[in-house]
Amino acid sequence: MIDTLDALLLVPLTDYGFMRRALIAGLALSLAVPPLGVFLMLRGMSLMGDAMAHAILPGVALGFLLGGFSLPAMSLGGVLSGLIVAGLAGGVSQMTGHREDSAMASFYLISLAAGVLLVSLGGSSVDLTHVLFGSILAVDSSALLLIATVCSVTVLLLALMFRALVVECLDPLFLRGQGARSGLIHGLFLGLVVLNLTAGFQTLGTLMAVGLMMLPATAARFWSKRLEGLMGLAIVVAMLASTGGLLLSYHLGLPSGPCIILLAGIAYLFSALCGRHHSLLARLRCPKAVPDAADSEDSSTSPTHHRTT
Amino acid sequence: MSRLHLQDVRLAQGGRPVLDGLTGSFPDGAITALIGANGAGKSTLVQAIMGLLPPMAGRIECSVPRERRAWLPQQLVLDLSFPMSVEELVMTGTWPSHGALRGYCAAHYRKAREIMARLGISHLAHRPLGELSGGQRQRVLLGRTLMQEAELLLLDEPFANVDGETVEIITQVLRDMAAQGVTLVIVLHDLEQLAHLADRVLLLAEGQGQWFEPQVLLERYGRTPRGTAALSPLDLGGVAL
Repeated sequence: MIDTLDALLLVPLTDYGFMRRALIAGLALSLAVPPLGVFLMLRGMSLMGDAMAHAILPGVALGFLLGGFSLPAMSLGGVLSGLIVAGLAGGVSQMTGHREDSAMASFYLISLAAGVLLVSLGGSSVDLTHVLFGSILAVDSSALLLIATVCSVTVLLLALMFRALVVECLDPLFLRGQGARSGLIHGLFLGLVVLNLTAGFQTLGTLMAVGLMMLPATAARFWSKRLEGLMGLAIVVAMLASTGGLLLSYHLGLPSGPCIILLAGIAYLFSALCGRHHSLLARLRCPKAVPDAADSEDSSTSPTHHRTT
Repeated sequence: MSRLHLQDVRLAQGGRPVLDGLTGSFPDGAITALIGANGAGKSTLVQAIMGLLPPMAGRIECSVPRERRAWLPQQLVLDLSFPMSVEELVMTGTWPSHGALRGYCAAHYRKAREIMARLGISHLAHRPLGELSGGQRQRVLLGRTLMQEAELLLLDEPFANVDGETVEIITQVLRDMAAQGVTLVIVLHDLEQLAHLADRVLLLAEGQGQWFEPQVLLERYGRTPRGTAALSPLDLGGVAL
């Protein structure tokens, strides 16, 4: 029994350096990325992460074209194109008065098409698969260093701007009235999102890095009503999913990104069915809670309203 | 000397002129009611006073530092499903002194508890905002402005969708604040509230503003005499100055 467990859980890690590096990378990302997802979810911007993930693609592709499979070049390209798209979308929506999500959607579609075109110009379809869906084999020491740095910076910055972010989420006008630069906080936050998506694309791929951000956060919503609880739970879910997904991909010979994200997805589905708050089970158990739940969902639509005004 | 003075202020919203030639002082230690029909420019004026909308012409002279200006928005604009407790929201009123980084100490928590007791929400301290009634939320938001130690407080229809007990408590707290010298500006719709609360009235209509004593305004525009139970919302649609 112990032998089987050892063979299943430990041997892949003790025998193969790339598995160890991938695991460390996954755990580091699991520490930094889910809190960002929690804030995205609470601000009604759950799909923003997705759009951003597409936005980094042309930069990654350009880095790939110019520098080959070089991590610094691809990451730098990714961060730059992500920030440019976020800035353009924000600028266009402010200039035209249209909602930011429509500008964002337009720009990320352009980015996606441009990115895929760029990759196919310079490489084979194998390269495209690597960029889009990630590869644990690609995580070498320099990649690990980059991921660890980005994650440490993220955790530190989040701690520093935590109160400002919370106040800004709840009532942006309060902060503006106080003379605080809420635009700066918003921009810094989006910058962190882009940075982490770029760090995550090595293991998870550009398209799936956002999964580790959003799924643990949305799953945690069914278990906790407190911000600390949401963040802690999301981190735990992300760590379990990263570890489990890596082992699964090793044993079954599957790509690592989808395995990790699907495990996180299973955690979400389980939470939606059996979670403590507003889940299917919770509603069946105490039907009185239903109007309350409907009410809170109703009020959660108002911030999007508000953000556009 | 008044902390807040308007001098020939012209305001526009999205390029469309809203108010023009607005002059006058908001008295300190008194409650000024801001009334007018929908679209008359009440919210625009409040935004301008908060420093969020620069005037096209004229001056808004406000000697209150930015961090001592507080405003109580209409509840609808807040995301009250945010996972935050009543006490935490009241504590965000320490922003002017603490900013994003400084830690809270016991004295601040004590002050927050006193404020919550004054507003009758002590028993809700650890409840999430999403579970509160409209009136309770309004009291929590007022608690934040008390924590801020505001010298200038702007309120946007604080009595909309709240229960009778809340109306009483808020009225009392606002009166106390005025007695302590705070300058209060309240957007109001209800004649009865106006009669109870206001020391002065600024009526906005047709892009202009005019100052009144509440008594005079009630006599001129109120359709029912003061004191009767059935005071209806002011119909200011056709008011000419």
